[in-house]
Amino acid sequence: MELRFTQADELFRAEVADWLSANLAGEFEKIRYRGGPGDEHHFVEERKAWEQRLAEGGWTCIGWPEAWGGRGASIEQQVIFNEEYARAGGPGRVGHIGETLTGPTLLAFGTEAQKSRYLPGIRAGQELWCQGYSEPGAGSDLSSVRTRAEFDEASGRWRINGQKVWTSLAHESQFVFVLARTNPDEKAHKGLGFFLVPMDQPGITIRPIPQLTGTSEFNEVFFDDAYCDASDIVGEPGDGWKVAMGLLGFERGVSTLGQQMLFQTELDEIVRIAKSNGAAQDPALRQRIAEAHIGLRTLRYNSLRMLSDNADDGSLSRESMIYKLAWSSWHRNLGKLAMDVLGPEAELLEAAPYELSKLQSLFLFTRADTIYGGTNQIQRNIIAERALGMPREPRGEAR
Amino acid sequence: MNFTFDDDQLAYRDAVDSMLQAEVTADRIRARWESATGIDDALVEQVQALGLGSMLVPESLGGLGLGPVDFILLAEACGRVALPESVVDSVMVATPLLVDVLDRGLGNGSVQRVIEGLCAGELSVGVGHPINPCINFADSTDWLLLARGEALYLVPTDQAELRAVKSVDPSRRLFEVNFEPNPEQRIAEGDAGAALWRSTLNRGALATAAVLLGLSDGIVRQCVQYSSDRQQFGRPIGANQAVKHLMADVAVQMEYARPVIHRAAYTVAVAPTRADFAVSHAKVAAARAALLAGRNGIQVHGAMGYTWECDLHIWVKRAWALTREYGGEGFHKNRIHQWLQQPNALLGPEFTFGRGSLLDSTAA
Repeated sequence: MELRFTQADELFRAEVADWLSANLAGEFEKIRYRGGPGDEHHFVEERKAWEQRLAEGGWTCIGWPEAWGGRGASIEQQVIFNEEYARAGGPGRVGHIGETLTGPTLLAFGTEAQKSRYLPGIRAGQELWCQGYSEPGAGSDLSSVRTRAEFDEASGRWRINGQKVWTSLAHESQFVFVLARTNPDEKAHKGLGFFLVPMDQPGITIRPIPQLTGTSEFNEVFFDDAYCDASDIVGEPGDGWKVAMGLLGFERGVSTLGQQMLFQTELDEIVRIAKSNGAAQDPALRQRIAEAHIGLRTLRYNSLRMLSDNADDGSLSRESMIYKLAWSSWHRNLGKLAMDVLGPEAELLEAAPYELSKLQSLFLFTRADTIYGGTNQIQRNIIAERALGMPREPRGEAR
Repeated sequence: MNFTFDDDQLAYRDAVDSMLQAEVTADRIRARWESATGIDDALVEQVQALGLGSMLVPESLGGLGLGPVDFILLAEACGRVALPESVVDSVMVATPLLVDVLDRGLGNGSVQRVIEGLCAGELSVGVGHPINPCINFADSTDWLLLARGEALYLVPTDQAELRAVKSVDPSRRLFEVNFEPNPEQRIAEGDAGAALWRSTLNRGALATAAVLLGLSDGIVRQCVQYSSDRQQFGRPIGANQAVKHLMADVAVQMEYARPVIHRAAYTVAVAPTRADFAVSHAKVAAARAALLAGRNGIQVHGAMGYTWECDLHIWVKRAWALTREYGGEGFHKNRIHQWLQQPNALLGPEFTFGRGSLLDSTAA
């Protein structure tokens, strides 16, 4: 137990903060605090340029090994970077899927050729990635994906047909990683493959999905005879589920600490409004603001504990199993608190046709927090079945 | 003691309910979003044909002479289909306020004429209670009932200044309204004005509570359907306790609200000056049910529930808006608190339905 950062870590923190304050200025001033959840469709071009500025400064992929352009940064340093990035108002990272999902997956499961082909583009902030997991019929039940990948002997490439859904940043990305069925005779998590597929080809069609926010952060992606090279499968045909699950393990990582800094910014804004409009005098709202503060502290302690107890064998500790449920519920309640602090004004939009204020956007977007990345119901099943060892929920026959 | 509705009341509810279920579909609500006024005139005529325009107007003024208990099930039916038009506000808030003015021997020549117009379905009236920042569909009204301090004004809409603002609910057409008080348009002031605004608040909050209950019901119906159809892990998602319990929790909250709303309607009818606590309880309970229905409804629909294409948000956004209309949870809990803190508050089973308050008229 040593609840503080080392002198070296504090120096690193200062270095990060100095660089961000020098660089997140001028042309990039206007994208501070922008492009986060609920705001991903804004300033995309500027955020692409920012990704490259980060790369030039050596601030992309800092947790990757030095051999692949990273800093080999310790967990503590990655935490510090994410905290300082959020504190400085660093914009939503368009490169985060490549950096935090594709990269670690290739480092763990990829061939040397795949690493050489794809890691530098991610590291340079020039090649963006999106995620091809969910399908209309495969949400919580991810293993029932029906997108089909067949090896086409004539062209020597993989041919992909099917549909993915809820794909963020699809129209901005150069590549998508796709979980697809390589053996149609095998069910569920057997007979799947994990593919690296270029987006810019005739066989891929993207359709934005308008959300109840009036904006479209998600897309449907249709594959009609889309292709990738023979070498663009990670692992062997049939290994797809293993790779996909490994990837989901990378998703729960250090970025949560930066996420909590954003939460703190949101809570601070709510407190500021409560003070200015008199809501802070309401005893019920005061209690809820205090509860929000307590809840955020608990999240922070838990994730610091989670990161310092990194077993590194791919197994998930109990605290990491509760984390999604904990933050999503907390954040959804924060959205509700924001509306209650605003009072009757909460209903009124900023402008026509459907322009939301920051807090309205927070409220609406947090309705989805308890759904994406594994619903609260699925999370509770994971906690009950894997953490507590309770009997598995019965499943149907027709898979 | 009889907590039920009679056959006439239920038959009226069924007639209105089946007309609304047939005519107010999600597609037609979406069509209203694209239209200039946001109002379906043909639907308004059908509502009028069922007698809603005059139902709460006394027979002496040419109405049906019914009361809040008769209307409360109809208000719920309007909520069940997420009816955009201000039918509930007009029947339950604007019209009774005008009737109240006449009952007190107040008003000017316009009041009776406006009531007759409402009965005939020839005009519409909006109410600007100071607790609400805006008036829904103010631009489509002929007259507005507006406040300046305690005074009440009946103002031709074209003499007021309307500024459109956008609601999170695309079905609502909100306007901030400003006006120059004209003494000739003042129809009540002082204590009488204050009393009129106070009973308007109660009618508005009660009507809103009934609509919220209907919205909850509409949400649950959609969720039951969706969770029965949608398959994951080889069976309907609704087979999972984690999913079905989300809806069971809403059902519980709805039944916590339903008799409370009915009781409040009864109290508004028989003892309107002592209805504050009953109405506030109804608003708190109905809002709680509707917010849970919205939250759990989105959850049951998964990511689909977060899309514009899924009809669910028509209901959920209305619920979000109406929980704040005519006082939010904090306001109404404070009213209950104040009522409980009175030195002579009548607590105990014999006073559950206000027998004591009839014995001691100073109590409330």
